[in-house]
Amino acid sequence: MTLAPRSDPGHEHEAALIVRIQSGERELFYELIRPYERRVFVIAFTILRNEADAEDVAQDAFLKAFKYLAQFRSESRFSTWLIQVAINEARQRQRKSHLEIMRPITDQENEDGTYTPRDFTDWREIPSEALERKEIREKLVAALGSLAQKYREVFVLRDVEHMSIEDTAQALGISAGAVKTRLLRARLMLRDLLSPGLDGNWATNSQIPKGTNPWS
Amino acid sequence: MGNEFADSKGDKPVVVACEHVLREISNYFEGDVDPALRQALEEHLAQCPRCQSIHDGMRNVIALYSDEAMFPLPDGFYPRLHGRLADQVEGRRLSRRAWLVSVGVSGALAASAVCAAVLDRLVPRPLSEMSQPARRLPQRLVAIVDGGKIFHVPGCPFMHGTYHMVTAQEAVLEGYTPCTRCMRDALRSAGKVKPDFEGEESAGGATDGK
Repeated sequence: MTLAPRSDPGHEHEAALIVRIQSGERELFYELIRPYERRVFVIAFTILRNEADAEDVAQDAFLKAFKYLAQFRSESRFSTWLIQVAINEARQRQRKSHLEIMRPITDQENEDGTYTPRDFTDWREIPSEALERKEIREKLVAALGSLAQKYREVFVLRDVEHMSIEDTAQALGISAGAVKTRLLRARLMLRDLLSPGLDGNWATNSQIPKGTNPWS
Repeated sequence: MGNEFADSKGDKPVVVACEHVLREISNYFEGDVDPALRQALEEHLAQCPRCQSIHDGMRNVIALYSDEAMFPLPDGFYPRLHGRLADQVEGRRLSRRAWLVSVGVSGALAASAVCAAVLDRLVPRPLSEMSQPARRLPQRLVAIVDGGKIFHVPGCPFMHGTYHMVTAQEAVLEGYTPCTRCMRDALRSAGKVKPDFEGEESAGGATDGK
């Protein structure tokens, strides 16, 4: 199974839109950001883990993007730049809210250290109706929310929003190697958190131990 | 599975250990392994139930989270977003008026606080109080002169040199204090400030009470 990044709207189309916006057709800003409205919210929500804060940050990010559009350099991808703005806004909000004191214990792990999966519970297939069940979606959101922020950020950009490794690295200001390392760890931890998975009684009985370290 | 990993040399096959599978399994899903290693990983997975379990679990994780619709948007998200953007994007005069009204409200609050401040004018005020008006307008973009300590309303005549723009909230968090002149002018233009506000400057620029 090979993953391919979800294609972004045409770079040239966006560059042309930006030129027109800067020339005074300001209403085109809505068209420019439309593909990314949900994405910005999802990323902010993943960082902040709070719906109201995430919405507020998303609004702030779009406002800031509009204000600073003149500074956007067209050789970059608009979506990556916009997400950088959103991530910075979310991080600032988080610092302001002192949410870092709620940092999960997984932050203390050594990123380069070896990792041993918690168990080897068999989890072969996903029932087709899984994602239609609200409680399962909530489990997934809670599991992701229990990871340390550096893992949440990488995972949401790559595996939820399907940004490329390179764009993820650029948006987060880290190396592609660091993205890969964190992505591996995030995927393994989520696999552990969500096992025994949908083959077992996951949806009815298991509890995701938020803020704990079940794979130690 | 305890085979040692060895690089592919000529016809020598690549053999991987469980530890190597664990390191490469994510890259495997990315398609970021060379063909020889990919084949070795798949051969290992076919014979090792434990690594196959990790493979299956990771595959399921990637599949389950692949739809951003898993994160529902709050009701009314789009109208609220577009409503907030409208003033800026569409350049409505309402935006300016709304800002002035909010400045006016802040000014009214500040003016009442100034009355109290006059009574203890000699008492130094902490910087955090000086930035109180900015906190009332956290998203207002303000200008910081490079190398300076004060932030201004853009276009302030007392601002010299190169500057960069940040929100008032950021400026406060970074320790900058507001220019009382341009704030005073902004408040005055809102028509909400009594003349005695001008005495505020000598009180250290505070525009809000304790």
